Parts: sequence; structure tokens; C-alpha cells
Amino acid sequence: MSAARGAAPTGEERKPSVSPDCDPARLDLTPAEGYLLSRIDGATSIAQLRQIGGLPAGDVGTCVERWLADGVLVVEGGELGVTSQERPVAEAPLPVVDAALDLPVDTQEAVREFLGRLGAPYHEVLGVDFDADARAIKKAYFGLSKQFHPDRYFRRELGAFQDPVERIWRRVLEAYELLSDPATRAEVQKTGGGATGTVAEVPPAASSPLKSARRMRARLTTLAGHRKMVSERRRKAKGFFESGMAAFRKERWLEAAGSVRLAIAFDPQNEAYRAAFPDVQGRAHEERAKQVLKEADACYDLGDYRDALKFYEEATHYRPFDAELHHKTGRLAFRLGEDLRKAKEYASSACELEPECAIYHRTLGQIFAGAGLDANARRELQQALRLDPKDAEAKEALRAL
Amino acid sequence: MSRVIGIDLGTTNSCVAIIENGQPSVIPNAGGYKTTPSMFAVTQDGKRLVGHLAKRQAITNSKHTIYAAKRLIGRRFDDGEVQRCIELSPYSIVRGQNDDPRIEVGGKVFTVTEISAVILKEMKRVAEEYLGEPVREAVVTVPAYFNDAQRQCTKDAGRIAGLEVLRIVNEPTAAAMSYGFGKNLDEKIAVYDLGGGTFDISILELGDGVLEVLATAGDTFLGGEDFDRRVVNHLIESFQETEGIDLRDDAMALQRLKDAAEKAKCDLSQRETAEINLPFIASDSNGPRHLSIELTRNSLEGLVHDVVQGTLKTVEQCVKDAGLEPSAIDQVILVGGQTRMPLVQQAVADYFGKRPHKGVNPDEVVAVGAAIQGDVLVNKDESMLLLDVTPLSLGIATFGGHFAKLIERNTTVPVRKSHIFTTTRDNQSAVKIRVLQGESEQAIENDLLGEFVLTGIRQAPKGEPEVEVAFDIDANGIVSVAARDLETSKEQSITVNATGTLDEGEIQQIIEENELYEVAVK
Repeated sequence: MSAARGAAPTGEERKPSVSPDCDPARLDLTPAEGYLLSRIDGATSIAQLRQIGGLPAGDVGTCVERWLADGVLVVEGGELGVTSQERPVAEAPLPVVDAALDLPVDTQEAVREFLGRLGAPYHEVLGVDFDADARAIKKAYFGLSKQFHPDRYFRRELGAFQDPVERIWRRVLEAYELLSDPATRAEVQKTGGGATGTVAEVPPAASSPLKSARRMRARLTTLAGHRKMVSERRRKAKGFFESGMAAFRKERWLEAAGSVRLAIAFDPQNEAYRAAFPDVQGRAHEERAKQVLKEADACYDLGDYRDALKFYEEATHYRPFDAELHHKTGRLAFRLGEDLRKAKEYASSACELEPECAIYHRTLGQIFAGAGLDANARRELQQALRLDPKDAEAKEALRAL
Repeated sequence: MSRVIGIDLGTTNSCVAIIENGQPSVIPNAGGYKTTPSMFAVTQDGKRLVGHLAKRQAITNSKHTIYAAKRLIGRRFDDGEVQRCIELSPYSIVRGQNDDPRIEVGGKVFTVTEISAVILKEMKRVAEEYLGEPVREAVVTVPAYFNDAQRQCTKDAGRIAGLEVLRIVNEPTAAAMSYGFGKNLDEKIAVYDLGGGTFDISILELGDGVLEVLATAGDTFLGGEDFDRRVVNHLIESFQETEGIDLRDDAMALQRLKDAAEKAKCDLSQRETAEINLPFIASDSNGPRHLSIELTRNSLEGLVHDVVQGTLKTVEQCVKDAGLEPSAIDQVILVGGQTRMPLVQQAVADYFGKRPHKGVNPDEVVAVGAAIQGDVLVNKDESMLLLDVTPLSLGIATFGGHFAKLIERNTTVPVRKSHIFTTTRDNQSAVKIRVLQGESEQAIENDLLGEFVLTGIRQAPKGEPEVEVAFDIDANGIVSVAARDLETSKEQSITVNATGTLDEGEIQQIIEENELYEVAVK
């Protein structure tokens, strides 16, 4: 704790992420610590974690500092740790959902979720049972290929998701290659299912490349038997789920969602956890939206419009159905004049969500006019006037065109 | 919607296709033909001819008419296959500055890549005339068994032709794509592709809109041209026997024989006998001589029987690599003009125990598949996903001349694998990495893709420093390699440039030269 308090202000702004080298299953965590870990996503600063971590603010600092020291967490752009020096591939934090990317938000969420279990045993990577037959393995592989094969993202602007998508594909391919061959599969199963820290992991030096089976053995010898590990993971998942449900009953939505998500990560096969998740996540999103909106309004009142915009944007992610919020975000982006494309996206979402609202069309029209797309601007402004013939601002804008 | 054309760049004929309103169609050239001969010629007065025009004048201008350049692409001059070509080709093949074979016609030396570019450009033009708009992007097919250098050269040829090659697709894979397009199938497929110059066999599995290549094998120097050659040799020998004249040194006679042999071979797929009549083929002191020989289907089959049996050995290996029995194959697809031969069809049917599928056109199916893949990529069509493999094992030469395979053949691409290597001598400060492709245990028996040196390694006892070498094979089957000293994080990467490929400067130079030429003809 003292270390954290003594840290420079920038220290509090650091945004740690879970090292891809780290397998959460191998950490001995209390459910509360597990929840904290689930909040760490590379986008949330240590200061924010103190607010939302579900632990006393001081304990959050202690935990985070300890995990940083242990290499469980890494900070992008921070001092180079031993881990990052060895494996630059592993440095990347969990990418942040960004609606501006050429990738549906659902897919972005799916990528983030998948990254969380990239280090799981191979059959869990493919999402099949431990003793699944060849047909089921192939079916799962085809399904994941359709989702993550690089051809699916040909020429798309993936931003921070580029590398994760490639990593996922490589791991899926590795899992399939090893599990689809009876010989390598037997090896994998004997030695623990293939849970590993990182995709790009290589064994220590050898004078010649090792054959794949030997390589695998080297990678897996540190792990206990697979079954033992699975039951251990299930036990932990159960703990997380129970504490999540307890939090849910006490209406601590964020904590509940975090715990349930962690339970699913530890035991992906459990239907009950999956069934409970949408409701819990919905509440948590609402809760988070409220918090973020409070921040946004505060920034707005202080005149920090850019910060306010960031918070509004985040809020739209949690409340994708809220037309007014989208409109507000689009309008603010437009007024800041920073990114008209972004402004347009939000304003058109607002129009799509509530097509009968004149003001939304007016704003969209003004944005189009600002971007020099006069035909589109005219269309939207006329639509606004159709819905509300008395709208003076729309009339004015149309005249200006 | 962007328009992407699919081009089957064949050894003897090329074909171009496009997807229109969700339906693939093969684009005919100005003469109304759906395939165009892969031929290029320079006439006496310096005019350049491509396609049917080049073919039509081949007999009178055989020294300056290039055909089957695909057999040379991406190879080194000293390659046995290239030497065989030199013996048999009427045009002159010379050693280029990169140790690559080059072709001299009309007083100018062309790289093989340039010749392929001319053909690709012709196909681009055919498409543009048909569509009435410029075309900039293409998917180009290559034999599945092409190595890195051959793929790289084909891609470069596309660039020289003014095309962005979005993807290099394997010919049998393209054929399977075309077969599975728009059908909701769950099948295991064998594609037997015997074209003009190459032979490929691929085993694929189709299901849930995913087309997965299980295994592929082939021979990049075996095809219909070899069948023709057997017939030509037979004709030459018969003629020598009856007339006592050797036609081997007469370029014009050879070209006439080649044409006649090809025609007779095709005729014999329909009929039992074919007449070969070549009046005034030669003359000596006794006056002009005529060649007149009757060839039967039986005698043709006798001439090429062993070649066909040879392909079946490759098929057997491939089916085994796929982990299957021949009887597990649901559908056999024949691709390439040479599969029209009844002997080939019978041999394949006997091996798999079922009649081959009749629904595809063996000359057009590959171009159609390429067009489909282009459409899938660019227009975000999610109805089909292709999972192709690398045909050859990839690795590096290690101490003692051994070949350390890092990526086994038939591994799904794109793929990246890395390994750690170390020094073999004390205080060794540099490591030379020789990248190879092939199946032999001995380094020297495989194709050398390129080599590079990682320098500045810390002075240490042997075995202590660690150099990580990462190999990437992209979706085109093209290789790149990076090496990193783990201690210093010093990195060196190369795009593997085989000896036969052109460097960036040379490509630019050719592009500029071609532009000059374009201005000149307008």
C-alpha cells in the first residue's frame, strides 16, 4: 500500500492489463481478488480500479502492485519488465472496444472474451469436451475459423484488434492441429490439456529444433495432471459464481458481473453460469453507464468537453439502445469538430433508434453540411422539417445550404 | 462492390472469370474463345503478339514464339527441368543475371516473370473489354505444388501487368471452391488436376461453408506437354525409320509435329484413330518427303501409360497424407485439359472406385474458383471460407548439412512458427540462416529459398546464445522469415528472395519499360 501511495501521480493513471503469459487458473485468489482481476482490462486506470475494484481502495493498490511485481499484470508503455523484454508479442493489453473500427462491437467483445481464455487447455480453446470426438473437434474448428480466420478481416481496419485476432487464429489452429491428430492428442491429454501462458511460447534453448511432441512435453511438464486442473478450475469457478450471485442479491451489479464472467472463464462448459450472465451483465452495464455518465456530466460542466466526449462514448457502448445518449454524443463530437465521421455515426444511430425525432435528423443534417455532403444534409434537414415544421434551426441550416 | 477478376494462368491456356450479380461467369476473348493460349511472340518486324495471334503464327516463327513459360517460372538456370526445356524448346533460353533462365526473342532478352506478365495483362485486357471498365485487382492461381519462388514470381508478374494480386490460390483448391460454390455440401473431395505442364492432387473436406484442404501433392513438371512430347518423339522415330531423316534439328518441322501431335492426342479422346498428315515436312536429294502416320488410341495409351501410372503414385501418397482411404472420398473432380483423355479418367476412376464428377468444365473451373475467392475476400461474402495448406515442408539447414523442418507440409496457412537455435562454435559471432523448402532430410536436396546472416551475437561458449527464428507463411503460400537474438533483441527479417526472383529495382525497371512500350504502340 505504501508503495502505491508513494507513487507519482502518473502511477495512478497507469492502465494495467493481465499479462497473456499469466494463466489466472494458476493464481491462488480469493473471490474478491478474482473480481478485481476481472476488472483489469488495459483500459481502466489504477485510480479507477480503486473506485470500482470492489475492495477497499488501499487493498486494491496493494494487490495491483503485487501483481505487477509478480508479472501477472503488465503496463503498456511502462518500464520494461522482464516479461515484456522476452516476449514483445505478449505485451499487448486487452484491446479497448472501439465503435469506430470496421469490426462489429459484438465481435470485438468476442475477441476480448476469447483472449481471456487463450491460455486455457486446447479443448477449451476449441470449446469442446475433453473427450470430444474427431467430428466435434472439426465442427468447432470450422466454426472458430469462420469467426477468426484472417480472410474474414481482409482489408478491414482492425486497429488494436489486428494482433489479437491473429493470435487467436494461431492458437485455434495450434489446438486443432494437435487435437485432430490422435498421436499428438494423446500426448496433450497425458500432459495436461495444453494450457499455456502464451501462443508464441518457445522452449528454452536447444541445439536443434525439437520435434513438436517433445516441445509440447517440455511446455507441459510444469503442470499437474489435466483432470486435477479441471476440477480445480471448476471449484474456483463455483466460488466466483456464488460470490457473484451474492453480490447480485445485494444489487452490487458490477461486482456480480465481474465474478460471473470469471466463473465462465474458469468453467466455460457450465450452462448455468452462461444462462445467468446476460441478466447480470445487463445490470452491470447499466450501473457502469450511470457512473460513466456522471463523470461525463461533471466534465461537461467543468468545460472539459473532450474528456466528456470520451465518457459519453463509453456510455453509448453500455447503452446501445439509448437514442438520446447517441444524439448527445454525436452532437458533442460535432461541436468539438474533431472527428466528423464519428459524429455522423452517433447521430445516425440516434436516427435509426428513434426515426421520428426531428432534432436527431436536424443534427445529422448539420453534421453532413459540416462535412460538405450537401445532398445528404438536405435530405436529413428536410426530414427534420417534415417531422417538426416549426424547427427554426433546421430551417436556418437548410437556407444556409 | 469492387470488381476482382480470377485468372487461371495456365501452362498452355489461360482463362479469366468474374462474379456478376452473385453468379460466376467466364469471360470470352475478342474471338469468342473462353480460353486464351499462354503464348507470346515477337514478329520479324518487331510486333508483339499474344494469345491466339501468337499461336497462329507459331509455325512460321517458332524461334520467336514463347509457349509454356510457366514451366520455367521461379526456377534457377541450372535446374534439371530448365535444362530439359532448353533441349526441347525452339526458342532460346539463356542464363540471366540472377541465375534465372531468360528467354531471347526478337533481339531482346525477357525474364520469365515478364512473359507471364504479358499473359496476365492480356487476360486483364480481355476482362476490361468485356466489362467496359478498368480492372485493377485479381486473384491468380498457381499449381498447388509451386514453391515459394514460383509463387513470388507469379505475384510479381501480376504487378508488372498492372494488377494488384489479392491472393495466390492453388489451382485444385480453386476448382473445389467452384464445385462447392452455392451448394450446401458435406463431402470429402479429391481434385485431380492434370494441366498442360503441371500435375496436382488435392484432398479437401467441405462442410459448414468451410473448405479445408487436408493434403496436397504434385509434380510441377508433368502435364499434357509431356504427353505431346511422347507423341512427337514417336512420330520422329517412325519418320526416321521409314525415311531415314532426323527431324530433331529442324525447328519448323518440330513445331508442326508438336501441333499435329497435340491435335491427334485431343482427337483420340473422342475417336479410336487419328490421321497425322504433314506434307513437305522435309526434303533431301530425292525430293520432298511427307509424313503420314495413323495413330490409334491404343498406341497413344501405350506411349503415355507409365506417365499416368506415375500420377497415381502421387495420388496414393496424398490420400495417405490426408489420413484417409480412397473409398472415403465422396467426389472426384477432374481438372485440366489432359483429364479429357479416357485413359486418365479410367485410371482415376479405378483408383477411387467411382466415376469422376461430370459437372465442371475442366478448362474453366479454376478461373471461376479464383473469381469466387476474390469476391469472398473483397465483398465480405461469408458463405465460404478457404483453409488452404502449404504443399512443401519449410525449414533451415543445420549443422552437418541436415534439414530441420519447422513447418511440415500440409500445414494450414497462414501459419507462424518460431524456434530457438544456438551457435555451434565457441565465440561464434554470426549465424547464417539458410531457408529451405522440400522434403529431403539432406539440406542440399531441397530448394534454397534464400539466406541471411544474423550478426553481433555475444561472444560465448557454443550452445549458449539463443537465436529465435520465426517463419511465416502467408495465405498466398509466400514465406517470410525473421531472426532475433534473444539476448540483445537484435532483429533481422528478410522477405525470402530466392535466387530466381527479381528484386524490387528490376520489377520497377520492367514496369517503366513496358510503359514506354505502351506509348510506342499507341
